[in-house]
Amino acid sequence: MLSKTDTDKCVACSTCVVQCPVAEVTTKFLGPRMLGPASERFRLLNDGEDSSLTYCANCKNCDISCPQGVGVSNINMLARAAYAKKHRPSFRDWILAHGELESRLAGIFPAALANFGMANPISKCILDKIGISKKADLPRFASKQLAAAFKAYKQPEQLSKKVVFFPGCFIKAYAPQTGMDFVWLLNKAGYRVELPDAFCCCGTPLYTNGFADDARKNAEKNLAEMRKWKEQGIKVLALCPSCELMFKEELPVFFPDLAHDGASYLENGEEFVLGCISRGELVIDAPGNAMKDKKIIYHAPCHLRALGSGMPGLDMLGSIPGLKVSSASAGCCGISGSYGFKKEKYDISMAIGSKLFQSIKNSNADLAATECGTCKVQIMHGTAMPCEHPVSILKHYLEKEQQ
Amino acid sequence: MDHATVVIIGGGATGIGILRDLSMRGIQAVLLEQGCIAAGASSRYHGLLHSGARYAVKDNDAARECIEENMVLRRIGSQCVEVSEGFFVLTDQDDPAFERPWVEACAKAGIKTEQIDVKEALRLEPNLSRSVKAVYRVPDSSVDGFRLIWHNALSARRYGGEMLTHHQVFAIEQEGGRVKGVHVLNTVTGQKSYISCNLLVNAAGSWSGNVAKMVGLDVAVQPDRGTLVAFNHRFTSRILNRLHKSSDGDIFVPHGSITILGTTSFHADRPDAHDVPTEDILKLLDIGEALIPDIRTYRILRAFAGTRPLYAGKSGGQGREVSRGFHIADHQEDGLEGMVSIFGGKFTTYRLMAEKLSDLVCKKLGVHAACRTAEEPLIEEPSAELLEKAKKYFPVHGVTLAANRLGAAFPIVVEKAAALSSNPLLCECEMVSRAEIEYVASDPSTTSMNDIRIRTRMGMGTCQGTFCSLRTIGALSECRIPFPTPPTESLHHFLQERWKGLRPAIWGIQAKEMELGRSVYAATLNIDGALNEQKN
Repeated sequence: MLSKTDTDKCVACSTCVVQCPVAEVTTKFLGPRMLGPASERFRLLNDGEDSSLTYCANCKNCDISCPQGVGVSNINMLARAAYAKKHRPSFRDWILAHGELESRLAGIFPAALANFGMANPISKCILDKIGISKKADLPRFASKQLAAAFKAYKQPEQLSKKVVFFPGCFIKAYAPQTGMDFVWLLNKAGYRVELPDAFCCCGTPLYTNGFADDARKNAEKNLAEMRKWKEQGIKVLALCPSCELMFKEELPVFFPDLAHDGASYLENGEEFVLGCISRGELVIDAPGNAMKDKKIIYHAPCHLRALGSGMPGLDMLGSIPGLKVSSASAGCCGISGSYGFKKEKYDISMAIGSKLFQSIKNSNADLAATECGTCKVQIMHGTAMPCEHPVSILKHYLEKEQQ
Repeated sequence: MDHATVVIIGGGATGIGILRDLSMRGIQAVLLEQGCIAAGASSRYHGLLHSGARYAVKDNDAARECIEENMVLRRIGSQCVEVSEGFFVLTDQDDPAFERPWVEACAKAGIKTEQIDVKEALRLEPNLSRSVKAVYRVPDSSVDGFRLIWHNALSARRYGGEMLTHHQVFAIEQEGGRVKGVHVLNTVTGQKSYISCNLLVNAAGSWSGNVAKMVGLDVAVQPDRGTLVAFNHRFTSRILNRLHKSSDGDIFVPHGSITILGTTSFHADRPDAHDVPTEDILKLLDIGEALIPDIRTYRILRAFAGTRPLYAGKSGGQGREVSRGFHIADHQEDGLEGMVSIFGGKFTTYRLMAEKLSDLVCKKLGVHAACRTAEEPLIEEPSAELLEKAKKYFPVHGVTLAANRLGAAFPIVVEKAAALSSNPLLCECEMVSRAEIEYVASDPSTTSMNDIRIRTRMGMGTCQGTFCSLRTIGALSECRIPFPTPPTESLHHFLQERWKGLRPAIWGIQAKEMELGRSVYAATLNIDGALNEQKN
């Protein structure tokens, strides 16, 4: 029902159309206003759905720009889910939506073999046949996934305070080092970290690809686990802005019965680290030679901006002595989760990202930084520059200072 | 045009229904309408195709007519009728003693009712009040008045019927107790003309009393004002009626992209009493809350009013007491030859009214031809191939809308869209594309943006003209389709007409919409200033 009253809020000003990165580069997308509030008025009348709806990347720049506070992207996603109920999404979309499951299967094989299985020219051709662009750089499975790395890691004994880490599927399968760097920082700040086995993918890739039922199952599992910790007054932290957005903004709309209590379970991990710094739990104003004169360019993921709670990652990087940090401020990177991997969307995705790529290249920075896993993949693909999560950069700095 | 066998006054449902009927029977007829098509009650109502259940208790004959005609219109006008069914809902404010006699009266009139479990009703209509006591299904439907009348007009045209809009009859010529013809003013050009005829048909609805007055007859036609509120989206899938004695604010009709709540009933002193007092709207919202508790959270697009052409006959009575049946008068009985009138009635039975009147016309002219309007569909269904082709040029939600609106002209517009380098939506809210607007604008009966609106719904959605009117006037200027008035004046007139409906309900989000419109036209484009400049 939320989407219906949201339809009423739209005054048709078209600000969202101007700000939509997809509409800017292709006419295949009718634009957020048309497919969102305008089409919504006809969805109770008609059964059909415009194929153009699949071109919405759910990047949420429409929501960010809307002066009336309309959740345009959520209208689109609800419509897509309703459409997917009647028309089964493609096998390709299933593959892209269920990355977590695949990573678990891949985990059975050594990463090198699993990655070779995915990245060799023959597999790429097969993937291309089912609709995954062979030009795209799919993320590589880590040699040791997060659960294994965490199990092998010994946290210091004497830590009295405790936090819980919600890693999300990307960090779990493709970037466990980011997760481990975060654990290291939290330990250093005096917190013991819990990594519950029950946590699974937040559901963003599932929902946006049309697998609402699977997303719901994940939400049920995750919320049950989060409630357990909340009752004990222990914070659950996330590093991925999309996961955070899912719990804070999307679940209450997609599954209002599940998340009726506001889903305020998840907190921003970087904001928490900033808190540690300001409380003096994490000391970083050391002599500061480790990063002296290093240049970093930071990209704010769209979903982070959609959260509307600032850029804690940029603030964190700014607190590192000697480090020169600038913000790319060049909009969307174009990848939007699995969107840019899709064959028919690859070129659109690269066209959207071109401004950011240029801005990063022009910056002459040593390193790019961003929180979102797939933004990172896209930046490396589009600029051939290394890209790290801000927590990893802070960890490297502190580690070097220690030496 | 200086002679017609039959001249029909009134371009509402009845008049155009008569034009079609007579044309199909091979009688040469011309219709004169003072404004644009369906400018009166035919478009100024809730768009409910009655099952008749509303009238069953009080006026069983009218109820029977409704259900019979309802079934006919579903058949002949499938593009204009949404077969959505209706609920009759007994709320905690309604008298339960009305329920039994109502069910019996419906059965007597041949209206199928089926009681359904309240829980099931709430599942089907989640916005319905949780405190309802009983729910019945009835075969109500919604019907697009503009569209139905247009399809009648186009069908009449194919049979040679002629229709002159913006032609006002200002005098009726009589000679020796017989009507000889009508004096007509073209309100667009100011030209006057005379049309002689063998027979004059007065089908002017609320204005029919005024027409009768021109020949010195005093007819008891009472215009009765009803106010309606249009909401920005559909919050029900079915028509919702209160299960009680007909009263104000007890019908919700989901309609295309919107929902209409109606109606009030006030005696009006003139047929064009179309002003909407804000109190009417507030009253409707108060009453509407019994069925839809969240009604105040929904955005009102606009409010409008129309006058019912109530005909009290010799029995008298006012407002809801007056029968919704119709009455045909051969003024021969009043000592005047060559003129017949039709009074009262309602949209749902327009075809039957037209049939009965046309029967009389045939009798008077000595023509033996049977009525075929109940059998022959208004327009042909578009082919599946054409719809598939159209998907290339229209957004999916817009294809059926355009096909239903355009009827026989749909293939032409699809071709036109294909020939354009692109076919953008000029009206995004109601999904009207450039090809459709260009086509409708080229029709000889189109003289203003308002005429385009009536055929396409351009300007009738969320933005109420803010974006589409500028785009439309720009597109039409670009492809050199002129109106009798210059573009700035056309635009100004159109916006004022739209804003007229916004003003009485200007609060909440619609007030923001209005401010956006004002800042575009009154401030940025300085339309008032531009208009004065052109005039001086």
